[in-house]
Amino acid sequence: MKKNIKKGKITMTITLGIACFALVMVMSMQFKIVNETDITSIENMRETELRTELANWKTKYEETNQKYEETISKINEYKETKQSNEETSKLVEKELEQVNMSLGKNDIEGQGIEITIRETEKEEISRVTADDLIVIVNALRLSGAEAISINDERIINMTDIVDINETYIKINGQRILSPYVIKAIGDQSYLESGLIGNGGHVDEMKKIGQDVSIEKINKIKINKYNGEIKTKYME
Amino acid sequence: MIFIAILIGCILGVILGMYAPIISYTYSSYLAIAVIAALDSVFGGIASVVNKRFDMKIFISGFFGNAILAILLTVLGQKLNVDIYLAAIVVFVGRMFVNLAIIRRYYVDKWSNKINEVKKIKKEIEK
Repeated sequence: MKKNIKKGKITMTITLGIACFALVMVMSMQFKIVNETDITSIENMRETELRTELANWKTKYEETNQKYEETISKINEYKETKQSNEETSKLVEKELEQVNMSLGKNDIEGQGIEITIRETEKEEISRVTADDLIVIVNALRLSGAEAISINDERIINMTDIVDINETYIKINGQRILSPYVIKAIGDQSYLESGLIGNGGHVDEMKKIGQDVSIEKINKIKINKYNGEIKTKYME
Repeated sequence: MIFIAILIGCILGVILGMYAPIISYTYSSYLAIAVIAALDSVFGGIASVVNKRFDMKIFISGFFGNAILAILLTVLGQKLNVDIYLAAIVVFVGRMFVNLAIIRRYYVDKWSNKINEVKKIKKEIEK
């Protein structure tokens, strides 16, 4: 009986020892795992933590997206204003071009007529005077000429056409010689009819015997004014 | 005698556990619940030894059965999206405290009896 109890006690002790051994082994394994695992890495996170993290990122993403859209709309606004600015600047440029053309600062092309006056050698025929040119220029202007030049001297608003000693003509301070080539851009038939017919100066000159010819040219080029347009007293 | 066996088992377990391979973190929660179940079984075993009601079959079946059952419950809880392992922990830890109370009471009684006997002997000697 006593032996039996002792045997039971020994087996009991051994069993408990083995149980403790297994338990502690597993526990120390567990300690090691918990110690050595990086809890912050995504693979080891719990589901709830991942969920909150995901929600955070989602809100962040939405905020960023909203900001991005705002910026895009701002950029579009800027683009629009830029475009409108460009339009106005284009308009201004166009206006400037037109002003320059009418001022005589640009070379221009267009349909028009070319009047050529040749000085004749004959004594009885009076020479071509500045007045003749002035009358023709005035007639052309009356007929709606948009640009006029004589021997490539552009007629601008301040152009002077003068006789010097009744021997030669100066235009824009430049001496010009025969043949006088007057170029005018405008409606060809209007320009022509302003010079021929009754009272037309070209016809009158022809009557005197001077050599004048009118030619219609579909594409005539008039050079720009070479000098400087100075303004001193204009304000 | 019993405590020496437990101590030796613990020391051996620590030494072996240090060199054991690392298990993936995902399974460590199952392992933890198994550890708590086993801990409960061991305390129950000690308490039964103290009460002189130790049955090896019951102890071994409880040791492994409780651990496996706890793991299975945890798995089931994860599948059902219910934290069943919390219930397991509550039960096991509660039983652990009960068993600890039994062990404590036994030793307190033992010591107080011894002290009383010593006092009695002293009194008899004085007489």
